[in-house]
Amino acid sequence: MMKEKDLRPKELGRPAEQLIHLDQLMPLSFPYDQPGMETDFPAVKPEWQEKYCTSLDGCVAIDTLTRPKTEEEEKEFIQQFLSGLGKVFSDANNSVLQPLKLSFEYCAKCNTCSDACHVYKGSGENELYRPIFRSDVFRKIFNQYFTSGGKLKKKFIGADIEVNWETVARLGELAYRCNLCRRCAQTCPLGLDNSLFAKEIRKIFSQEMGIAPTPLHAKGTMLQLKTGSSTGIGKAAFLDMIEFLEEDIEDRIGRKVKIPIDKEGADILLSHNAGEFVAWPENPAAFAILFEEAGVDWTLSSEMLGYDSVNYGIWYDDAQAKKVALKQMKVAKELGVKRMVIGECGHAHKALGVVADRYVYPEEKIPVESWIPIMWELVRTGRLRFDPEKNNFPVTLHDPCNMVRQMGIVQPQRNILKVIAPQFREMTPHGVDNYCCGGGSGFAIMSSPNFGQFRDKVSARMKFDQILRAFSDTIIDKSIPKYVCAPCSNCKGTIREILSHYQATDKFNVRYGGLVDLMVNGLASIDKPYLEFLSDQQI
Amino acid sequence: MILGLSIIISACLFLGLSAYKAFQYAQMPLHGRMELYPVPLEKERHIYGGSYMEEPQWWSKPREISKTAELIDMLKEMLFIKKLFDHQRSLWWASYIFHLGIYFLIAWMLLLITGALTDLAGASVNAHQTLWTAFLYYLTIFTGLVGFAITTAGAALLLLRRIFDPVLKKYTTLQEYFNLVLLLAALLSGIIIWSPDLTFETARQVTADVMTLSVVPNTALVIHFILLEVTFIYIPLSKMSHYVGKYFSFHKVLWENEPNLNGSEMENKIKNALGNKVYTLWSAPHMQEPSAK
Repeated sequence: MMKEKDLRPKELGRPAEQLIHLDQLMPLSFPYDQPGMETDFPAVKPEWQEKYCTSLDGCVAIDTLTRPKTEEEEKEFIQQFLSGLGKVFSDANNSVLQPLKLSFEYCAKCNTCSDACHVYKGSGENELYRPIFRSDVFRKIFNQYFTSGGKLKKKFIGADIEVNWETVARLGELAYRCNLCRRCAQTCPLGLDNSLFAKEIRKIFSQEMGIAPTPLHAKGTMLQLKTGSSTGIGKAAFLDMIEFLEEDIEDRIGRKVKIPIDKEGADILLSHNAGEFVAWPENPAAFAILFEEAGVDWTLSSEMLGYDSVNYGIWYDDAQAKKVALKQMKVAKELGVKRMVIGECGHAHKALGVVADRYVYPEEKIPVESWIPIMWELVRTGRLRFDPEKNNFPVTLHDPCNMVRQMGIVQPQRNILKVIAPQFREMTPHGVDNYCCGGGSGFAIMSSPNFGQFRDKVSARMKFDQILRAFSDTIIDKSIPKYVCAPCSNCKGTIREILSHYQATDKFNVRYGGLVDLMVNGLASIDKPYLEFLSDQQI
Repeated sequence: MILGLSIIISACLFLGLSAYKAFQYAQMPLHGRMELYPVPLEKERHIYGGSYMEEPQWWSKPREISKTAELIDMLKEMLFIKKLFDHQRSLWWASYIFHLGIYFLIAWMLLLITGALTDLAGASVNAHQTLWTAFLYYLTIFTGLVGFAITTAGAALLLLRRIFDPVLKKYTTLQEYFNLVLLLAALLSGIIIWSPDLTFETARQVTADVMTLSVVPNTALVIHFILLEVTFIYIPLSKMSHYVGKYFSFHKVLWENEPNLNGSEMENKIKNALGNKVYTLWSAPHMQEPSAK
């Protein structure tokens, strides 16, 4: 039997119930280096094996990718994939053609990228997750079908892969074993980007084959375009939520705060990830408290897509990304605001601030910026005043890849933390070198049927280890709360999941939340703790 | 005559094909923003990876750009292969001496051409005639000796690494082995030809013969020239032309963070790109809606 570490890209399609097994993961730091601190992967259910593609590593990311029932279906599936693969290097894909061709043509396979990849490292350096593994399969299939020449030439250029249903389906799954964090590209001596291949494979599946994970497509961009939000919240429900938020603020801090909605001509249209209203209402509430206290001229929008900044399209489907972004910008334009400000959501920062920057004609444009520099300005100029003693517990900062590595917003959040959190400490590494939370590119919201296990145990493993190392001085003392500040909705969701998976809150009092929550907790003008976990604890 | 002409043609093809490759990449459609920080162009902020987006209302403020910082970063990559040094030191040693050796050999070739021209002009290149001829004489020896030694050692080490490293060998295609073998063959044949005269006077004489199309062929020289010509023509057609690709991947992708500002050149480029008609369409059902095209 072949050893898993000997797996080669050309063997992606080889017959096997499961190509690899995730049983030798990266060891975690203290106290998770002790026996019994982690559960094993649950067994793959036979009904999943029958229905989905579990033959890669036992996990299922694409719940709409089902096994064919006939040989015709199988052939059609492969044909559709190849048709999409051909389009990747055509005018249908102009917006990525140059970077993709560079990465396709010039990779020297020096393997420098592997050590930068948290999925590869977290998996215990499993061959399957090596960044060049996926791109090499892509290259081999492309060269096999789209390069002229006979057998000899194909062997010479490495076009030696057998393409069957298993090859293509596994490759589709493998595209969802990369968080698109682009840390690998940062280390490439030739400036190439292996994450592009993962994204392009996802695009072929979605844009050509109509196959994408339900949370991203059917319950993601499609739902957002239909109802206004990927949460499914319509305008009426949104307005109810705002009313509830106002009441909640009064309950929490004893202050009446009126949240402006659809205020025409406001300076700022603040756009939140709508998931915040559902899962962490204290976050949009914190923004309202801070903006009210600083006297900012701002508003929320209740229009379709105006109250949800998310754009899952940037992870798997360019057309969906463009549709969502253009509609979001239109809302801001019609409201006549001066600028659009993105709240604590990393991918929304990138989608509207960077990706959509090249989607729009001059007349459709609206300036877009991050909330972080604005908030630092309010702190720096004394419009917000703090009592740092209120936050006198260990705090560490997670750097969301989209805001930091991919937008260069690095320092303002640190400046704020230095003012409000006396025990702030950095993770190692941090800033633009930080590791992804493990939930990037959709993983945070993909759990069914068993993908959550992959996220919690493999892709988020490095982040969990970073958290443990950041708090190594106090981790064992349960009386001390330890706060992971994650100013991004998806990162926060992932950290919530890993803290729950590893029972780190129950066992070691490790907490998580956004930056604005911590800011409100530290406001000099508020008497009660804003962070719920502090209510029953004395700092 | 043929031998001299063919080497001149192959050198011209090397330059021409490389330029054509660069032209092809330069002509590609405007791509979406894919910058990755640190971007060295960001004055002062590049030190920690920051950008203009750290400023509130960044679009209303003048951008602080440092071409010097960009140039320094570019030179660090070109001269020292810094990323490989930082992230994979064990491979850097082989790769660095190989690439440094190529720079030496390029300098050696230019010195041979200059020396040949000097010779043809009637001033013999030797250690005693003038300061200029002595300079050419010694520098040619130095660059040639160092160039051949470290390029060959580097290429051999890279080849051995690819053969014996259990990871690299899984990903290396026959073509990638061929690339290194071809380079090694050209280098070794050069060593065989030129090593009997380590002052490189013979090499300078052959260079002058090439320039006057009067090369006197012998078997070893013919083999070396054929290998050199194949290498010259093959490099721009293969991934060894990464000296072209690297410019685009850094300057036009990773370091390109030009925003779409009102009245800017970028705004015009975007307008033109958005106006381009797309002929190839994706086939998924949701891609058939008019807004998806």
